Amino acid sequence: MRQPLDRMAFEQEGEVVDIPLDLRSRLAALGLRVGKRVRMITREPLRGPVVVLVEHASVSLGIGIADRICVEVDE
Amino acid sequence: MKVLLMGHPNVGKSVIFNRLTGANVISSNYPGTTVDYTQGYMRQSGQDIQLVDVPGTFSLEPRDKAEEVAVKMLRENRDARVICVIDASKLERGLYLALEIMEQGFPMVLALNQWDIAQDKNMVIDARKLEHILGIPVVPTVAISGEGVSTLMARLMETGPASPTEILTRLKVGDLMTHPECSGCGRCLAH
Repeated sequence: MRQPLDRMAFEQEGEVVDIPLDLRSRLAALGLRVGKRVRMITREPLRGPVVVLVEHASVSLGIGIADRICVEVDE
Repeated sequence: MKVLLMGHPNVGKSVIFNRLTGANVISSNYPGTTVDYTQGYMRQSGQDIQLVDVPGTFSLEPRDKAEEVAVKMLRENRDARVICVIDASKLERGLYLALEIMEQGFPMVLALNQWDIAQDKNMVIDARKLEHILGIPVVPTVAISGEGVSTLMARLMETGPASPTEILTRLKVGDLMTHPECSGCGRCLAH
């Protein structure tokens, strides 16, 4: 199932399938690119930031950015 | 000769800097910003070297003041050599910045710092193979114990500008450049 990254549940894993063009270079510098496996490791309440694990590195993302990243989550 | 220490925040640049320069350290304000960089002096192979500890940056497209300083340092020191420090346990993430610096034509060595931590995490990194692919010296280091740090300087002296196009040839991905929208997922290599 495809969904925005910020909707992933805690410890859920998936693969990044789409990142809007305007965010690509910024997120690529943090190791987050289309095709990468991600795992949700921190969710903050009240639309706070999320932290995902990508290639052993944690990346924290504001909810506004996380909402625009599309992930194919594992069943 | 000027040597710039660059890399992500918190990878150990300053520890390497302190190792190399000892106590001979000057801290300075970069004009127009609130972000500090540090410079110091050392001798290597009979040459005086000015070493600059550049603020941590994730990319060469600046997002904040510290990153602006980093980009400006590169722009104003076209003849500098670069030590790019990356966290060996987060190798993949660090390579993005390393390649950006190489693209600009700076002679560079890559320090795979916190090598001990990567080993503790049972990560196997083939530094020699990475060196072959990138075409620049790749040196495992443990800055806090000093391991590899002198090798880093010695190898920096012998290196020349890297060629990103040759890297693509070595990886057999020459057509990657023709997809401007490519996000570097690696998938298109199969097409």
